[in-house]
Amino acid sequence: MKILQTLQESMKEHSLRNAFLINGTYYTYGQLGSKISGIRRLVQDQVPSSEKFIGVVTNDDLETYASMIALWFEGKAYVPINPIYPKTRNKEILEQTESTYILDSSDTKYLDDGFHVLSAGNLSTQGMDLCPKTVHPESFAYVIFTSGSTGVPKGAPITFKNLDSFASAIDENLSFSLYPSDRCLQMFELTFDMSVVSFLAPLLKGACVYTLSKKGIKYFEIVKLLSEYQLTVLIMVPSIIHYLRPYFKEIHCPSVRYSCFAGGKLFGEIAKEWNKCIPNAQIINYYGPTETTIYCGGYLFNKEGGNKHENDVLSIGKPFPNTSYMIIDENGEELGVGKTGELCIAGEQLFPGYIKNEEKNKQVFFTVEHGGRSHRFYKTGDLCYKDADGDYMYVGRADFQVKIRGFRVELGEIEYHVKTKLVGMDVVVIDVPDGMGNLELGLAVCSNKIDLEPVISHLKEVLPPYMIPTQFLFLDQFPHSVNDKVDMKELRARFTDLKTKHI
Amino acid sequence: METTEIKESLKAIFTDTLGHNSFELEDDTTAKDVDGWDSVTHMMLINEIEKKYNIKFSLMDLMNLENIGSLIKAIKSKVGSSLIYVALCELLELESLVLLV
Repeated sequence: MKILQTLQESMKEHSLRNAFLINGTYYTYGQLGSKISGIRRLVQDQVPSSEKFIGVVTNDDLETYASMIALWFEGKAYVPINPIYPKTRNKEILEQTESTYILDSSDTKYLDDGFHVLSAGNLSTQGMDLCPKTVHPESFAYVIFTSGSTGVPKGAPITFKNLDSFASAIDENLSFSLYPSDRCLQMFELTFDMSVVSFLAPLLKGACVYTLSKKGIKYFEIVKLLSEYQLTVLIMVPSIIHYLRPYFKEIHCPSVRYSCFAGGKLFGEIAKEWNKCIPNAQIINYYGPTETTIYCGGYLFNKEGGNKHENDVLSIGKPFPNTSYMIIDENGEELGVGKTGELCIAGEQLFPGYIKNEEKNKQVFFTVEHGGRSHRFYKTGDLCYKDADGDYMYVGRADFQVKIRGFRVELGEIEYHVKTKLVGMDVVVIDVPDGMGNLELGLAVCSNKIDLEPVISHLKEVLPPYMIPTQFLFLDQFPHSVNDKVDMKELRARFTDLKTKHI
Repeated sequence: METTEIKESLKAIFTDTLGHNSFELEDDTTAKDVDGWDSVTHMMLINEIEKKYNIKFSLMDLMNLENIGSLIKAIKSKVGSSLIYVALCELLELESLVLLV
């Protein structure tokens, strides 16, 4: 695979350059290469070749990144296991992917019962072994789990072909082109796929990856890295600049060349203000679901103005050359220019399907015959329309899936877990604005005021922190719209009015 | 303003914002020690503190916060400077009044 070869060449060519800055320490490409070699030997010795998915405990260290790349060189997929998430959820993920081997750099093993845990720390570092195995393009490179409405997370596996195609598609496209001298931010948890581009794109070019310390408050840590190391490339979710907005006047970083956004709506107004903090940067608004490999299209922001938008949400531009978009109505009929419908995506970055979830796969895929060939399309659940120039505008979500701090959340999944504790009660989980331009989760319960503590502790056991509701509302009856559905708009308004706090 | 007095108000603000009071606020207490004090609630806490003391933190102030001790120190210095500011404003207003007369 081309990316693996390019990675190998990059490590050889830039062996004396810095590859990572992690918790204040620099590591060269040479050091990274030697870690990767050590982990490969461990995997070759200990893991049967039939094992395709290997868990990696996502610590904030060189060993974790080296583990993921070592698995790629061995033609295996990594399954990121985030130690800050509940163990039950992590075990569910390992079970779904049938992973029995785990690479773990922690001093004390994160999981031990029933798994083969291989320590990725303190390995001998003799000799380099950076020649990738011959990898089948349809083999998997990584799996990202997203929230599923039935209470079980959905695993979206991405193939080497998908990833290879993504890497070629972003390079020298939409003005994005990295050099070995670039200093690039990696702010994401490794369980979120924007982390992949944040470390892969720099490593392919010999640039340096600056990872975020997990100790402080995220957006302040970003500004610290940004100003201390004069970063040149930022890949972020829009919520970061919403938090920083009150302090834009104090931020001045002329070093930034690219400020890439994805994973949420980017508003034109804030993008313009942010561009003043990073006056030499090109802002790029990328778009794409996890299922089509990180992002599959984008829009170049013009700081002089005249940008395309829908309700101030910046256009998501055009698909990459390897990708096709199509807008359909409720009956699956293709819609023309200016008509809003569900965006569907086909192309080389499209994943093969969710793991062990035939029902969902039937729902999200369909095939279109075109020019004697059949094309598989994926229904994104995003409502969009295309303008006369072929640029796409983002309108909203078609279902009840929302983005909280960049993470996709099926409100249904949270409701499902709430209902296991509040049996027989009517509950609704809803996204509510927090007054600072971001979304919070609100839990509305049809009842007199009750103690929600047991519910919240249960949620904390089964869900990651970003899925725990932070606002609470008790109602005699939910507001309903004319067609008998819960009136989400009205309910959201009640949250904003009352701001009823827990306990 | 006394440190203990600030600590009391902080305790109230934290309890209200985080929805529980199972924490102690000592000088070396950090976000890690308090359940629910994360990136999101941090901003809400800061907003409440700013409202309560009628002050405005700069980005620099906030980036240098390490624990409750440094937060209290920051509040003290902000309140101090805003008092001086108010005094200055009053003085200036007086002078402008004098000029008007």
